[in-house]
Amino acid sequence: MEKFMDADKRMTAREAVARFVRDGDSFVFANCLYCMPLALTHELIRQGKKNLMAFQQGGIEEIDQLLLSEVIDRLVIAYNFRSGGPRIVSPLDRALKEGKVVIEEMTNHTLLSMMKAGAMGYPFLPVLPGIKVTDVVRRRGFLGDQRFAEIRDPFTGAEMLVVKGYNPDFALIHVQRADRAGNGQLWGAMINSKWAALAAKKVILSCEEIVETGVIMSSPHLTIVPAHKVCAVVECPWGAHPSEVLGHYDYDFPFRALFVGSSANPDSARAWLDEWIHAPADRQAYIDQYCRRFGKKTLDAFRAKPFKSVPADYGSTFSLDWDEEGRSRTMGMTMAEFIAMLGEKGALIDGN
Amino acid sequence: MGTKYTIQELIVARAAKELQDREFVAIGQGIAMAAGVLARRTHAPNAVILTEAGLLGIDPFKVPLHIADPTCTRGFTYSCDMIDIFTTVLNQGYVDATFLGVGQIDRYGNMNSSYLGDPDAFTIRMTGAGGAPEFVGYAGRAILTMSGGAFVEKLDYFTSPGYLTGGNARYEAGMPAGSGPSVLITTRGVFKFDAVTKEMFLAELHPGVPLEAVREEVPWDLKVADILKTTPAPTGEELAILRSFAPDVVMGRKLQLEVVMKQVINLLTQKAG
Repeated sequence: MEKFMDADKRMTAREAVARFVRDGDSFVFANCLYCMPLALTHELIRQGKKNLMAFQQGGIEEIDQLLLSEVIDRLVIAYNFRSGGPRIVSPLDRALKEGKVVIEEMTNHTLLSMMKAGAMGYPFLPVLPGIKVTDVVRRRGFLGDQRFAEIRDPFTGAEMLVVKGYNPDFALIHVQRADRAGNGQLWGAMINSKWAALAAKKVILSCEEIVETGVIMSSPHLTIVPAHKVCAVVECPWGAHPSEVLGHYDYDFPFRALFVGSSANPDSARAWLDEWIHAPADRQAYIDQYCRRFGKKTLDAFRAKPFKSVPADYGSTFSLDWDEEGRSRTMGMTMAEFIAMLGEKGALIDGN
Repeated sequence: MGTKYTIQELIVARAAKELQDREFVAIGQGIAMAAGVLARRTHAPNAVILTEAGLLGIDPFKVPLHIADPTCTRGFTYSCDMIDIFTTVLNQGYVDATFLGVGQIDRYGNMNSSYLGDPDAFTIRMTGAGGAPEFVGYAGRAILTMSGGAFVEKLDYFTSPGYLTGGNARYEAGMPAGSGPSVLITTRGVFKFDAVTKEMFLAELHPGVPLEAVREEVPWDLKVADILKTTPAPTGEELAILRSFAPDVVMGRKLQLEVVMKQVINLLTQKAG
């Protein structure tokens, strides 16, 4: 796996997608339902990426938007919201019927286990075997037999169901905060984020805010994706709208309903995509358009009230081995006595 | 009493009674979450609600739009991830029950939430499996509700395992002893599963529903309990909790779509000016 070691990976969403996404790539969403990387998703659409293969646990609107824009042609998925109910023909229904996408049906647990195996560098991982009686396992989609297999537990001989590990070409993730190098911190519903991000060969990260590395170093337990996995850092306030980001904003139900309503037929769907994805040059322009259409007050109404986590105290005595008088706490010697002792014991080498 | 209630209120209140205090229950959104929260606010205050989003010990203040929304994350006790929920919590046997909504169901409680019609030439792709197959497969029991779904002789797609072909088939296939659907609550009545054959039978009729109305919906020769009970109507206390916690669940999907879309259009046109 490539290690990304630049100290400052900040760039725009446009640069990130242009530099790191190739037509035909596979990718995984490293958020599901919550804190969705929608600014990055919209950039895939804006740049007209083609023939991508997407892994997503549960789509809420991003999968439908990618399908309407014909960005993805292969989809591995466990769940896709049908906010319009069973009577509406969804974009996924239409794309499948028109043969514009092929699908692989998974369960949440087995799809994420594919990512976890890939993230761990393992060829496969056991999953709960009871589901092998279901059509999820029995019927095959475009991955064919490169998905489930049955093996025996080498210790007990019991039958086991395993899934194949995958390492998608890239992951998209949105988080609350990151430093310039890409140490990304996420909190709230963790769902699939860790394993999806770590499975990918590289991670394109957007965040609500860039913080100093000192902030990250005081709260490393919140780092969900480490800098060496991250190839691009995009600072992008409102980057998950209309989904929610704890500490920043709530989900925007009316706006989401507007998309669901528009997506019910191809013409209104195209108009929605034009207004909210193609016309705005970037997320700032999208937010400006939102404020023009619905007023800034409408947007502000979604801003989060604080509910602070008690900070973890990483304190210790922080004492050096050498005390205030220059005497070692463990040896009881001064530095001069220490060096003399090393000499007396014959531990010092004369390299001249 | 004479208090009027909606069919969703009846279903939720009846489902909530299936949960016991101090149980771990895995829940999705909608009717299922409303039932879990109602149980916690009435007879099961120490029940622990978890969702596959990696949230354990949640105390939602309104009915969540989805399993990860901020309604669930204002104070919870264990933040893990989806793999943790399915392995360290579910596979270790800590999940006593799961609530689940049903699309299609057969006589042995096997379920479809994936496709209506032949999957290769379907009419509708429903939501898909999500976490249902594992939760139904491995939770101590599954409490099922069905308000828009259907009974079928044969599922269009087999998403989640009930009792397979009945009898011991489910346990022979490796699922935990004693697990499986324990009850199905529909808009007409309450169904349970025979202890030996595992075929579902009608156990309760909702107030005012004739037996014939249930038979019309079931394509096989439905078995009926010797003593058919009447589902208890929701109490005033239950209704007050539900209407405050989950007004959109209470009104049902069809009405919800109508009312919410109207409100959305109002909001959007108002604020444009």
